[in-house]
Amino acid sequence: MISFAIGALFSVTALLQATSEPFVKRFEPTPINFIMLSFLLFVIGVAGVLSRRNIIIIFMSIELILNAVNLNLIAFSRYLQLNQAAFAAKGLEVNHLSGQVFTIFVIVVAAAEAAVGLGIVISLFRNRETVAIDEIDLLKW
Amino acid sequence: MKLQGWEAVIFYVLAVMTLVMGVLVVTARVAVHSALFLISTLVNVALLFILLRSEFVAGVQILVYVGGVMVLFLFVIMLVQTRAEEESQVKLYTSQMGWAVGIAIMLALSVFFAIQPAQGAFRPPDSVVASQAASDSGNLTGQRSGAGSTSSDTQNVGEALYKQAALPFEIASLLLLVAIVGAVLLARGTKQEKLHD
Repeated sequence: MISFAIGALFSVTALLQATSEPFVKRFEPTPINFIMLSFLLFVIGVAGVLSRRNIIIIFMSIELILNAVNLNLIAFSRYLQLNQAAFAAKGLEVNHLSGQVFTIFVIVVAAAEAAVGLGIVISLFRNRETVAIDEIDLLKW
Repeated sequence: MKLQGWEAVIFYVLAVMTLVMGVLVVTARVAVHSALFLISTLVNVALLFILLRSEFVAGVQILVYVGGVMVLFLFVIMLVQTRAEEESQVKLYTSQMGWAVGIAIMLALSVFFAIQPAQGAFRPPDSVVASQAASDSGNLTGQRSGAGSTSSDTQNVGEALYKQAALPFEIASLLLLVAIVGAVLLARGTKQEKLHD
């Protein structure tokens, strides 16, 4: 049912785009479609972080969120690369590669975060015999 | 940026696959299934990167995420006891489940309507559309185009990484070193601690 809603959202976006072009042209993806896709991926990750009990699945949801950010960065990098001439005509110097470089740093930080986070999960399980976050409430007042 | 012809079809296929697999990551009961769905999501995102002509980042995504991080996840799932969850003896979601889904839907709708006025902003002028093919062929090394030509994306990213982002690059290496030491310190048991003291 959720995938149904997502599909409907995509088709509505496409239908609401400008009407002067031929019918098929309306469905060609623009940066807006990439923003929508990465945003929906982000929302799925946020819902996972907020609702799941298993701390490992929460880590996986964080990876989903970071991937949504990466997708957005790469989409805008491509957009800047294709419109470099138009930006230069307006006197704007853009460097489209910074999006890709930033994505690589995000991946590095995600890998470090996963290593440390999973180490914490291991030592937590050794001490408390659980990975359910609502049973780990030592700091809760 | 307009993806035309088959690229547009591939975009929609990959987008729907990514989102369905993402929903399955969050809703799967067995943690290993969740990890496998996450691998599928990450591969789909890597294919989207290739569609956006960022081949190097796509390769890094496959190598680091699917090859490294996911193996780490699978090992931790193996070490940690989740049998009670798999046999549906305990609940899967916290008590804030309703709130979480409500907030997610509200976020989705608000950004959806906030984006609507910006639809036209990303339509490039006609002259730029014509230069898309030229820009792509400028991205390729050699004179050939189409199948058999190689992209210079890796070279460009490498140059940008070492020339413009040299200091962040070194800081990232330090971060990885700290992460390695921290992970080892956190994960070792009391027996190993006694052995070294």
